[in-house]
Amino acid sequence: MLLRGLSWLVLCQLLGTVINVLVLPMLPGPIIGMLLLFVFLLLRGEVGEPLHLASRSLLKYLPLLLVPPAVGVMVYAEAIAADFWAVAGALLLSLLLSILCAGWLMQKLIERQQRREAP
Amino acid sequence: MTLEWHAAWQALIHHPLFGVGITLGAYQLAIAAYEKSRWVFLQPVLLSMLAVIGILLACGLTFAEYRDSAVALSLFLGPATVALAVPLFLNLRRIRQLFWPTLITLLLAGVFATVLGVTLAWALGAEQIMLMSMAPKSVTSPIAMLVANQIGGIASLAAVFVMITGVIGAIVGPSLLKRCGVRHPAALGMALGLTAHAVGTARALQEGEECGAFAALAMSLMGMFTAVLLPLAILLLR
Repeated sequence: MLLRGLSWLVLCQLLGTVINVLVLPMLPGPIIGMLLLFVFLLLRGEVGEPLHLASRSLLKYLPLLLVPPAVGVMVYAEAIAADFWAVAGALLLSLLLSILCAGWLMQKLIERQQRREAP
Repeated sequence: MTLEWHAAWQALIHHPLFGVGITLGAYQLAIAAYEKSRWVFLQPVLLSMLAVIGILLACGLTFAEYRDSAVALSLFLGPATVALAVPLFLNLRRIRQLFWPTLITLLLAGVFATVLGVTLAWALGAEQIMLMSMAPKSVTSPIAMLVANQIGGIASLAAVFVMITGVIGAIVGPSLLKRCGVRHPAALGMALGLTAHAVGTARALQEGEECGAFAALAMSLMGMFTAVLLPLAILLLR
């Protein structure tokens, strides 16, 4: 079950890579693969048990999979140190403001839509 | 009889599984520490990252060697990205109900996040190459690295900014949003996925299925919009 679901995921990623090289160099293979799987699910109308199982198992360990790229910080310690305050300040400030902006905007728009639908 | 301690140590730290081993160990310890303390600053990704860096420095290993030996883990990042289509699909009905709020937030907040980051770094005096590596900071790292390359930044530096943004966003995001009155799971997920990409999405999944679905949606749409529009925008501005 798990293997069949995993095969689907890998197949989508591989197809995505092919499309990436052939026609869409600005979108990475995995993202195209995700779109392909999404379109496939739309056409099929439901998520099969193998696919559900595989995606749930993989997504549970998403934080673990992100650790190796995160460790890459150590290579750029010096370059970051040189521009540290500018970079840190800009990253932190823009992050806080844009998180708040996105959350607040979405909440307001949802409330507005709900008011309009239920007068 | 003398034991070859040195040879054994070298064999251990240069074994192809050493990277996987320390990552798995550090991650499980980080999860245990997080669940015991429930302290937001102990985000598993951040804690494991620090532990792994510490071990690598102590053993005198380079990042390149670690990356090669942890490739078994990194390889699954692709299929995991593809797997995000499933929660996206399962919550499609709710997303469809909130189609316009989602699209408007995505466009406005997405542009805001990108422009604000670059403008602030520029105002604080960062170099051009730093600016171009920072522009795609809010999108998932494979896209960010591609985009940074296209617009004249350094790909791996972009990955680092992406990681820092994601980790900090995941740490402070949920409590900051809740304190400011943003409580709707869709709004929480949207904000986390839009600004803190995969790490934010992983954090949003802990908040619930709907929150996670919107985070995945925001992350993938933000990634696609950035991949297509940011290089175009830079091209027009030059």
